[in-house]
This record gives sequence, structure tokens and C-alpha cells, in this order.
Amino acid sequence: MTDPKHGITEAEAIEQAKQGHEAAFDVLYHLHKRRVYSLCLRMVSNPAQAEDLAQEAFLQLFRKIGTFRGESAFSTWLHRMTVNVVLMQLRKKGLPVVSLEETLEADDEAPRKEFGTQDVKLTGSIDRLQLQRAIDRLPPGYRTVFVLHDIEGFEHNEIAEIVGCSIGNSKSQLHKARLKLRDYLKFMRAEKAKTG
Amino acid sequence: MTCSDVQRVLPEVIDGDLNGAFGSDFETHLRSCPDCSDLLSDLKMITTEARQLAATEEPSPSVWPQIAAQLRAEGLIRDQNSESAAGGPVLVQLPPRPRWSAWWLAPVAAALVAAGSYVISHKPAPQFANQQAPATPGAAPAQAPTTVPESPAATTASVPAATPEQEAKKSTTPTGLPAPAPEATVEPLPSAEDRQFLSVVSTRAPSMRAAYENQLKAVNADIRETQAYVNRNPGDADARQHLMDAYQQKTLLYQIALDRIQ
Repeated sequence: MTDPKHGITEAEAIEQAKQGHEAAFDVLYHLHKRRVYSLCLRMVSNPAQAEDLAQEAFLQLFRKIGTFRGESAFSTWLHRMTVNVVLMQLRKKGLPVVSLEETLEADDEAPRKEFGTQDVKLTGSIDRLQLQRAIDRLPPGYRTVFVLHDIEGFEHNEIAEIVGCSIGNSKSQLHKARLKLRDYLKFMRAEKAKTG
Repeated sequence: MTCSDVQRVLPEVIDGDLNGAFGSDFETHLRSCPDCSDLLSDLKMITTEARQLAATEEPSPSVWPQIAAQLRAEGLIRDQNSESAAGGPVLVQLPPRPRWSAWWLAPVAAALVAAGSYVISHKPAPQFANQQAPATPGAAPAQAPTTVPESPAATTASVPAATPEQEAKKSTTPTGLPAPAPEATVEPLPSAEDRQFLSVVSTRAPSMRAAYENQLKAVNADIRETQAYVNRNPGDADARQHLMDAYQQKTLLYQIALDRIQ
């Protein structure tokens, strides 16, 4: 990965950042800012809070960059650190990162339909903004697993380790999150059709 | 294969874990059941579209200058003549020689590090955790000054942590089970060290003074919240590490003041 503005590779930037070169920190920030900020935003659904969290994630990264030995990809390291920063924030606020109860509770927060009954299909494509709005409406526990798995590409065993749940719980919550999203999206589409 | 059977294996099908294990039965059912077929198609579409959401958002331009300023403040960015500042307020550039008027900051900073280290290193035994959770972390600041007994300031360095610990006790049920986090609506009064710190930095330029005050406020809030969480969840290693980081942050802030106070 090379930063086009400064013309140095990520590996070079990491080594220079360890020496305290500001330009190197700048390069690393600009290479990864969108990924980090987007992850924070998806998980907390609040731009100001997401910026604070992204800032905290980068600060933690840069404070520990001297310990980075390159065993894993830098982006993976940063990604994991960002998730931990966000989850810590959620925990401090008393919000569920993931909860067993949510996998057992009745789905009463979305327009519900019985499986197997006739319904409108989400034909064509999904509007990205609508999908984002639907994700914002997910309960925090569902949202965490959905964001980590379907958006960020973590595996269930990684999610289980990060959030402290079982792999089965992670799978279960992901499936429920997807079903809720489908219901939310169909509801939004129906509302739009009514008003449009 | 019924609709229920299909729904049960859908997650594996969507994530590609089954690789056609259900073969023709699954395909046959989908061809004859538009609801299941639509459900599979919709969920696949959601997962496909979700992947496009990664790295689509841009933070505001103000984020990097704040990070850079903090990195300079912590001494992680070293001043180099060939480089220009990234903009934004710079809390610390070149640390001048410390003066004795701020002597009290050194033992306080040392006490903060000791307190943080104690919290991290004295993880309660699992069987003890639930019963002793509220009391154990709170003991840390009280014992930490023993590492710097010659410092009168250090003996009071535990003041900021005492109040949230008491709050955490209130928020913990008699059985030790976690209770919902209390809303931090009332900010505790500053400790003696913090008052002295604020008094010293009050001699600085207004913008610098505000920066110090805001950073102290933020780090104290972080310590309070994290301490309360650790009290409720003494076995959470990530939280304990975060608390240690917060203590180090406060130490850094004191050290920065020590370096810069004239």
C-alpha cells in the first residue's frame, strides 16, 4: 500500500512513525481514516461520537506503534484496536455489546410477518442510505455482530472472541439482524411508496 | 424439505458454508416456494450491499489536527526542522527545563502510574470477583502511594478515584451482579491535585488554559467511567487495560504541565 501524496509505502511510514516523524503519522492516518471512521460510525450511528472514537483509536495505535512487529497486517491490527475502543465505549455506557437475551427475545421491534406468508420482495437493489438507516435502527447487540461480520468481514470465531460470546450466539444474532434489516427495508420501501 | 428446514440452514447457505450439501432438496424447495426463494435472495442482497458500506465515510478535516496535537503533546511526534506543523493548537512543542515551582507534579504523576499499575496487576480471583468487585479496585489508589511514601501529594492522589468507586458501589446489587451504568450527570468536585494543577495552568494563555482544562476533564471522566465499569466487571482484561491507559494519560498531562510551567 502506497500513499500517493507522500510517495512512501505503508511499511516505510510505519518505520518512520516509530522514529516520531509527523509526516509518517499523517500518511498512516490518511491511508486508514475512512475505514476506521466508517467502522466507528456504523457501530455507534453518531458522527460526532464516531469521530471521537476514531481519534481515540488512532491515538492508541500511534502510542503502541513501537510494539508493532509486522506479524499481522497493520490494517488488521488497527481494525482490531478500533473495534476494542468502540466496544469499550459501548460497555462504559451500559449498552449491550452482545446479549444472550437478544437471541431469545421475540422480535417485536420490526414489522413482523409470519414466515411463509406472501410478502413484497426487495426487488432490484438496496439503496445504500436506506440500508444504513436500517442498520442504525438495529439494537446495539445485533448491530455489533452485523457490522463486524457482514460489513467488516470478521469471522464468527473472531467476533465471539472480541465481544465475549459463543460462536453460536454470534451466528444466531447475525441471522436475526439480517431478518430485522429485511423487515426494516421493506417497511421503509412501503412507506416510501405510500408517500411517493 | 420444508420452509422451516430452509430457514434453519439459510445462514450457512448465505455465508457459503454449506456448499450445496443440501443439494437438490434445497433447490427443489426454492423453485416451488417463492417466499423462501425471495427470502434467500433478499438476505443475499443485504449481505452483498453491506460489504459496500466499509470505508465509505470520511471523517471531518478537524480530526487529524487534533490527533497531531495530542501526539505532539505526548512527545510521540518529534519536532523536525524540515517538517511544518500540521495546524491546530499545539499543546507542547519543545519542553523547557522544569522549574521547582511545579515540584508537586512529579510525585503525583508517579502516584497515578502506581495506582494504575496496581489496578491492572491486582486482578481479583474469579471466585472472589463477584463478592469483592466493588471494593477491590477501589483499594488500588489507597495502597498505591505506598510506592512513593515520601510524597505528601501522593497520599491524596487517590481522591479522584474514590468518588466513582463509591458510585459504583451504589450501582452494584447486594449479590454483586452488574447493575446498569449510572448516568454521569453530576461531575465530582476536582481533587486537591487537580485544583492545584488548574491553579498553575490558569497562568497560561486562555487558549492553552482551556486546552489543559478540557484534557483534564476528559481524562478524569474516562477514569471515572472506566473505574465504574471495572468495579462491575473486575474480570474484564480489556477494561483494566483501558483504565491503565487512562491513568497514563493523566500522568502524561501532569508531566506536560511540569515541563511547560514557567
